[in-house]
Amino acid sequence: MSGFDEIAEARNRRRSALDEPAGKRLLASFGIAVPKSAVVQDTVQAASQFAGLTPPVVLKVMSPDILHKSDAGGVKAGLQTAAEVEQAVRVMMASPQIANARIDGFLLEEMAPPGQEIVVGALRDPQFGPLVMVGLGGIFVEVLADVAFRICPITRLDAEEMLDELKGAALLKGTRGRRPASREAIVDTLLKVGGERGLLMTHAEDIREADINPLIVSESGAVAVDARFILTEA
Amino acid sequence: MSASVIERFAPLFQPKTVAVVGASTTKGTALPNVFIRRLREFGFEGAIYPIHPAAAEIDGLAAYRSLAETPEPVDYAYIAIAAAQVPPLLREARGRVRFAQVISSGFGEVEEGKELQEELVAAARAGGMRLLGPNCLGIYTPRGRVTFTEIGPRETGNVGVLSQSGGLGTDIIRRGLSRGLKFSGLITVGNCADLGPNELLEFYLADPQTKVIGMYIETAKDGRRLFEILRDARAAKPVVILKGGRTQQGRMAAASHTGALAGDDRVWVALSRQTGCVLVETLDQFIDALLVFQTLAPRPQHPTRRIVLFGNGGGASVLATDFFARLGLDVAPFDRPTIERLAALRLPPGTSIANPVDAPVGTLQQDDGRVAEKILEAIYGSGRPEALVMHLNLSVFVGRTKDEVLDNLVQAALRVQSHYPGQAHFMLVLRSDGDPKLEERKREFRARAVALGIPVYDEMENAGCALAALAFHECFVQARSFLSSGARAR
Repeated sequence: MSGFDEIAEARNRRRSALDEPAGKRLLASFGIAVPKSAVVQDTVQAASQFAGLTPPVVLKVMSPDILHKSDAGGVKAGLQTAAEVEQAVRVMMASPQIANARIDGFLLEEMAPPGQEIVVGALRDPQFGPLVMVGLGGIFVEVLADVAFRICPITRLDAEEMLDELKGAALLKGTRGRRPASREAIVDTLLKVGGERGLLMTHAEDIREADINPLIVSESGAVAVDARFILTEA
Repeated sequence: MSASVIERFAPLFQPKTVAVVGASTTKGTALPNVFIRRLREFGFEGAIYPIHPAAAEIDGLAAYRSLAETPEPVDYAYIAIAAAQVPPLLREARGRVRFAQVISSGFGEVEEGKELQEELVAAARAGGMRLLGPNCLGIYTPRGRVTFTEIGPRETGNVGVLSQSGGLGTDIIRRGLSRGLKFSGLITVGNCADLGPNELLEFYLADPQTKVIGMYIETAKDGRRLFEILRDARAAKPVVILKGGRTQQGRMAAASHTGALAGDDRVWVALSRQTGCVLVETLDQFIDALLVFQTLAPRPQHPTRRIVLFGNGGGASVLATDFFARLGLDVAPFDRPTIERLAALRLPPGTSIANPVDAPVGTLQQDDGRVAEKILEAIYGSGRPEALVMHLNLSVFVGRTKDEVLDNLVQAALRVQSHYPGQAHFMLVLRSDGDPKLEERKREFRARAVALGIPVYDEMENAGCALAALAFHECFVQARSFLSSGARAR
């Protein structure tokens, strides 16, 4: 798939955003690693698809009506067996917030190895066109707004300077018993998103906002664990 | 589009014929009449054509009925008549006007004028001209001897400015001139209905007369293009941007973390980091940064970091050290050999020879100020700073020392500068307490220093911000040429 297909399909379905698997296919088409996953509709499919994945896995609800999946009880992580997966699907289906929403299915996904949580974002500025953003995950983004923006396309040096600009940049080197995170993997992801032939330059007209949150970065690489793409008005 | 940007803008910066629309036959104080008077006072040598529906003559010049009836085509038309009358005037120019500047307001800056502005743009297109404004004040172009404001020096300088505010444009000229700026041009562009910041930026980048560019921007108009022009210019000329309205930019409601975090001015910070343009926040910082680039040649091969402060005023230099540090500038104490060299001079007690070098007037007036040469020889030879800020508190000098002491101090510094070419940027801070006599002395002293190529600042903080702007530009160029040499190539 080229990325145009995901966007066209969402537009055909009159959706203002890509669902999570479509967002991840879009990322994967630009060479960004995403976890191995399967979309399931019920407990039977969940159990059979689980067999093709390496545990632990995470189960996430897919719904255009649910913005914050975990707040709605729509995320269950650390599932080790088919029985646990089936049970998780049943619990989710029964949750009131999920029962009352439009449900596209459930995403069953391998869990990324632990690492530093990073946020990579995108925004279409009405004056300047696509912007790319990076920040450290969690409170660094949400409370401290410790992020750096650049206008696309960015160069490798721009990407490196974005990381240098973060007040929490030292955390990437590993502190207080935490393993370091691969700076190179973050720079590489930023270029695949915001570089000359990156995702945002390719789809500049279609993407209004995007969050890859989190991108989990270990010593050896980066995996986009959640992705949200909001489309421009058609 | 085959003509170069220089050729296209020549009629604006060096018009041979100027039409003035709106001059009064009776009221000499009307804006267009004042403009005619200033053209003459400024030494404009081309033809001036007043345009008037009835008069045969205005201010002793033959008047014409329309822009289409002038003896020669019009390079630059200055138009200050009621807004509604402007579109018909432009429409009938029939390709005989190159640039029309509409001073009148009542267009896109007010809700009820938005439609009229569209009509204005269409009329300019139909009339075959490029449009400046509306809602602006004029142009100041010494090379063309055209000015909308009081007479500045006729000498063409190196600072090219464009301003989306006319009033601020006047401030930039007045305040800039009094601090020693010399302009290659200043264009007020108002609402930018046709010509915007981008095209003038392209002109200044290409213009051999312009060494540094200043822009006061409220709306980028086409931010994408601005980014591309600045990026492709590769910081060949320093560009200083004073951005108005950074805190109130309208933004769509955010549906993502990224949207919520984008804030108001993140994109301008990004523009600065990616293109090397210097972003400043106040009019004073704007002028201070333009002055530093006008007078000092950037040295990207060794960007400005290590600063030496030298002058009288202990507390002032301690405060400045803190302030400079917050700007990322380094006022670190000297190493041992430098301190030993300075100690060997046996300066009077009360002189601090670490860095900052705090020398009371008693020290500085030794040998009528020539003592500074020995001090600075030691500092330059051993301490190897990238910039020297000499600060003199005039209120302590004037009346207590011979008049020539100040001159001798500066001359001493210039001699040492010449012994170490290319090593350190040199700037002066002339501090004063606002006493009128002192201010007078300062003004005269400042003018002499700027004429010698020394940027002069009122306070240490101004000097610090200017040095930080210079350092930012130098670091940007260094990092990028590093990139092109392959060391960090993609």
